[in-house]
Amino acid sequence: MKLISTIALVFLISACAEVETKGQAFPKMYSETDKPVSIVVVPAINNSTAADAANLVNSTLTIPFADNGYYVLPVSIVSDIFRREGLIEGSQITGIPLSMFKTSFGADSVLYITINKWDTNYIVLAANVTVGMSYVLRSTTDSAVLWSYDQEIVVDTSGDSTGFLLADIIKTAVTTAMTDYIPIARQVNATAVATMPYGKYHPLNNTDAGAKVVLKKSKEKALAPAG
Amino acid sequence: MKIKVLAVILCIGLVGCTTVSPGGYYWGKYSYTYHDLLKNPGETTRAAHEATLKDIITKSKEKDLRTPPGIHAELGNLLSDADKNDEAVAQYQAERDLYPESAIFLQRLLVKPKTGAEE
Repeated sequence: MKLISTIALVFLISACAEVETKGQAFPKMYSETDKPVSIVVVPAINNSTAADAANLVNSTLTIPFADNGYYVLPVSIVSDIFRREGLIEGSQITGIPLSMFKTSFGADSVLYITINKWDTNYIVLAANVTVGMSYVLRSTTDSAVLWSYDQEIVVDTSGDSTGFLLADIIKTAVTTAMTDYIPIARQVNATAVATMPYGKYHPLNNTDAGAKVVLKKSKEKALAPAG
Repeated sequence: MKIKVLAVILCIGLVGCTTVSPGGYYWGKYSYTYHDLLKNPGETTRAAHEATLKDIITKSKEKDLRTPPGIHAELGNLLSDADKNDEAVAQYQAERDLYPESAIFLQRLLVKPKTGAEE
């Protein structure tokens, strides 16, 4: 009986979500010639209504990708260089040929990020943020997609209940106004990076090809044109 | 909540809270001071971010950790903006020693040490 329910469960999971290994999903990340060591991050394109979303994302991106074993070119210097060239928004940079990032920055890959949604919801007793983001990592050698991920996640920001209704209402209102969004941005990035194969500086580099990831069509979504 | 408070107290009490990230790096207040700098660029936020970068380098050394990618380069860039070119070059050198794949990028920074002087 247990076996049947297990089989049924496995069947159910595989029917509604795409479970692949990292090696199947992102084969180029395990190829000696295609695997990138360094990443240039293009400033995030912000299609959300939250003005600060791009700053939050840009200031929290380096850590998870570096922790995953990659050399991330310093985002602050790279965006200064773009700014001096008159390129302020990420959308102005998407038109630049990928090979330029290899010749002038020496980078193996470019990471493009789009913030599709950053909505703060305040519902009397609870508060949360819905964040939709897509990540696409491309090779500067042949423009091929090396890794991609698209997600929409809801992060609870209301904290714990005090057990008293009025106190809870006040607390929710206060925490919504003073919420520290950096850990939220970090959490969103960490969820995406968890699907990415480890890089050169990670002790488990080249050992995680068999690790299973649930991608829920997120690869296709990440690659779909924004709009 | 109680566990969280307890953990924080324990952490401060024990080691002064030098947290090491999953990748084996110490990042200090990096995201916070960089976010402040992006949101309100100015002398104060720049100085705070510079202090963070120096703290990361010092603590990483103390803890025998590799300094995270980009930190020496970023500090070098701030020093170069302040016309401290010798110190800047020393930081770029440190970055290249740790991360050889940064060489081409750093060369580009060395060629144009006077950032923002064009305007």
